[in-house]
Amino acid sequence: MNLTLKITAALAVATALTIPALAQTTIVAPGQSTSGTYMDYMKTVYARATFAELLQVPIATFDKEFELTPMAAESWSQSEDGLTWTFKLRPGLVWSDGEPLTAEDYVFALQRAATTGYDFAWYWDFAGGIKGWKEVTEGTADVSTLGLKAVDDLTIEVTTVAPKPYLPSVTSLWYPVPKHKVDELGDDWAVNVDTIVSSGPFDLESWEKSNNSVVLTKSETYTGPWQAQIDRLEVDPTLGAPEVGLPAFLAGDADYSFLNTGQVPVATQRYPDGIRKNAVFATSYISFDLDSEPFNNVDVRKAFYYAVDRAELTSTVLKDIAIPAGSILPPGYPGYNEEVVAQAVFDPAKAAEHMAAAGFPGGEGFPEIEIWYREEGGYNGAIIPAMAQYLQAEFKEVLGITMNIRVLPTQDWMQGLLNKENNIFIAPYEYDYLDPSNFYGIFYNGGRHDHHIAAYDELVAAADSNPVWEERYDLYAQAEQVLIDNASIVPLVHPITIAVISDELGGDASTPNALGFTSLDRLGHYFFTHLTKQ
Amino acid sequence: MILFILRRLVSVAVTFFVVSLIIFFMMHAIPGGPFDGNDMPVSQAVRDKLMARLGLDQPLWVQYTRYMWGVLQFDFGVPYQSPGETVTQLLSRAWIPSLVLGGLGVLIGAPLGILLGMAAALNRNTWIDYFASTLATLGLTIPVFVTSMLLILVFAVWLGWLPASGWGKPERWILPITAYALIPLATYARYTRSAMLDTLNKQFVTVLRAKGLSESRIVFQHVLRNSAIPLVTVFLPMFIGTATGSIFVEAMFRVPGLGAYFVSSIETRDYPLEMALMLMITFMYCIAYLLSDVVYALINPRIRVGGGQ
Repeated sequence: MNLTLKITAALAVATALTIPALAQTTIVAPGQSTSGTYMDYMKTVYARATFAELLQVPIATFDKEFELTPMAAESWSQSEDGLTWTFKLRPGLVWSDGEPLTAEDYVFALQRAATTGYDFAWYWDFAGGIKGWKEVTEGTADVSTLGLKAVDDLTIEVTTVAPKPYLPSVTSLWYPVPKHKVDELGDDWAVNVDTIVSSGPFDLESWEKSNNSVVLTKSETYTGPWQAQIDRLEVDPTLGAPEVGLPAFLAGDADYSFLNTGQVPVATQRYPDGIRKNAVFATSYISFDLDSEPFNNVDVRKAFYYAVDRAELTSTVLKDIAIPAGSILPPGYPGYNEEVVAQAVFDPAKAAEHMAAAGFPGGEGFPEIEIWYREEGGYNGAIIPAMAQYLQAEFKEVLGITMNIRVLPTQDWMQGLLNKENNIFIAPYEYDYLDPSNFYGIFYNGGRHDHHIAAYDELVAAADSNPVWEERYDLYAQAEQVLIDNASIVPLVHPITIAVISDELGGDASTPNALGFTSLDRLGHYFFTHLTKQ
Repeated sequence: MILFILRRLVSVAVTFFVVSLIIFFMMHAIPGGPFDGNDMPVSQAVRDKLMARLGLDQPLWVQYTRYMWGVLQFDFGVPYQSPGETVTQLLSRAWIPSLVLGGLGVLIGAPLGILLGMAAALNRNTWIDYFASTLATLGLTIPVFVTSMLLILVFAVWLGWLPASGWGKPERWILPITAYALIPLATYARYTRSAMLDTLNKQFVTVLRAKGLSESRIVFQHVLRNSAIPLVTVFLPMFIGTATGSIFVEAMFRVPGLGAYFVSSIETRDYPLEMALMLMITFMYCIAYLLSDVVYALINPRIRVGGGQ
């Protein structure tokens, strides 16, 4: 009897010890970049480690319907003159090592970014508009003059050079930096798993630098909103390529995978309920050098504008992976305007008229041109090469011109664009923050392109500081009309990403939003904290 | 022989130096730097700070001299894409998976290829020969990412016998090693068949047969040894080639090896890592060819090196 009891007790203990391990939910997800330097979004954005941002709690962020949701901040308010914003932090937030998370950690994050060379510094100048930012980054003013202040442990004050009605949405990319760790270790606090601390819904368990894969675990110390509903999250960027991701998904090694065009029919047939689409807030467009021949002639540019059959393009060579773009803004993005979009029509007759008006009837006498696009992976890698070939054929047919194609490495392409080494490019751009100023900013006063159109710049500047949202959107629409009238760019397509997800995944994040899209990791904080697994 | 080796070592040093010069200045001649690939360009002020932090604000000859002075002390600098460690630490970490996969791939593929080539040569114009030749041709002509995909589909997705990809547990090694092994297998099968057929047609083989030696003794003691010379020439460089990582196999099977660094170091303008990889490859190939020549001379007494004796 005693022996039976002992065996039963031993089994019970063993079962009790085993259950938590078995109950652990782990999601294996694809990542994006296979190389990452610092696990610190406020040190580097373009070379950050995989999901560095998931470790920290931003001031605010967006949910699946793109509604701004307070995270570290409990509330915010704007001064009467519109120049000062006050953010109140939630009490009780701590770092994973137990140190309190304070306003000083947020202020320090931006002070360091302004003084040490931050590859995303433009954002806090253009989008943030923080007083003194430009001067401090250029080294002509002291960091103490920045419009940032930790009033007390839970209060941050931000002063901007002009009213910034959308500043709360800009704070979706404002993460804290553990000042106590930087004081102790410098920037190297963010290169070793042992020294990295988190303030958000996940902690870092491991980081394999060879491929930038990470294992995150549910934070035990995070008390803010959107707590993780899974125990572990394994993110492997090598699963990001559909050619690798889908076989791994089929073999049960991944919980979802992005799909390439060829995989879509197979996956749709096999997992009809598991297909998810996302309209990436991104646009591919043709950009011209407005100052050099033949594109210094507005008629030539207009001819190109009317020579693109976007409907055919997206229903044939880009089927399932892109939708037509009539505006620089993608559908669903704040400020998206149907009237602007409606103007981007395929009109070969009009295109021919403009070519004739420019002195190139039927393309006669038009110089041979070369369009440059950049070599890259991801959705752009699937879209742009095929699109370039389509445009080459279409321009030949509609405009009677010869357009060659040249693909360049990213760095060379960017240099070519900035230094005007060529006169026509296919340029992709994905949003950084949810406000029209993001997209319109890339053509503002030189911006990413060397375009200087006074009327456009004035409208964008006026829209930027206008506190009345309807008026802002209207000003942006007028600004885009200037772009259209000037044919500064030719919007081509907006990419669509398609993924297949496991039927074991659940939670609010696994279902589409009101527009029918599922953002997946594009809204990382929302997605990974609202995802469950059976 | 010693003089020959010494001369070759000097030529290795010269090659190493010349390659380092060419690579360094070619790297910097390519437009753009480590911070020029962003969607929104960094301002000049920010750029200056970033460049100064990496020492890229110095004249090129200063950068080159500093780098090579470090190399002479086995210090290859800090990789831009992994600032928490040195290039040496990164390479020693990432090289292990590549070495395991590439090394085992060659060590498994080469003997199998030799056996297959022998079988084909000894059974010329039979089904064995046709089978071996077909296999060798397929192994050489089908791109490795296609064979990798087929292996994953058959053994991981359809049969479910093995994991599709990943690294760590030995069962995850099987498919990538198989994919790796197909290349040396096919190469060696073709080389061996061709070399053995060539040797079998030599007069001394006829003499050996006339002397009444057994066929197995003729094949293993005489024909195979005489056929080994071209195989030795191929072996070490091939071993180096596979042991330094395959971009495609490592990507398809998610092996955290060296392969990806060859691409990422160029894409991200990670100059210290790019230089280290190129210098490492140069050095290894130089040594591989040196060893090949030595072994070549040892197994063939008719060949003399040094002064053309």
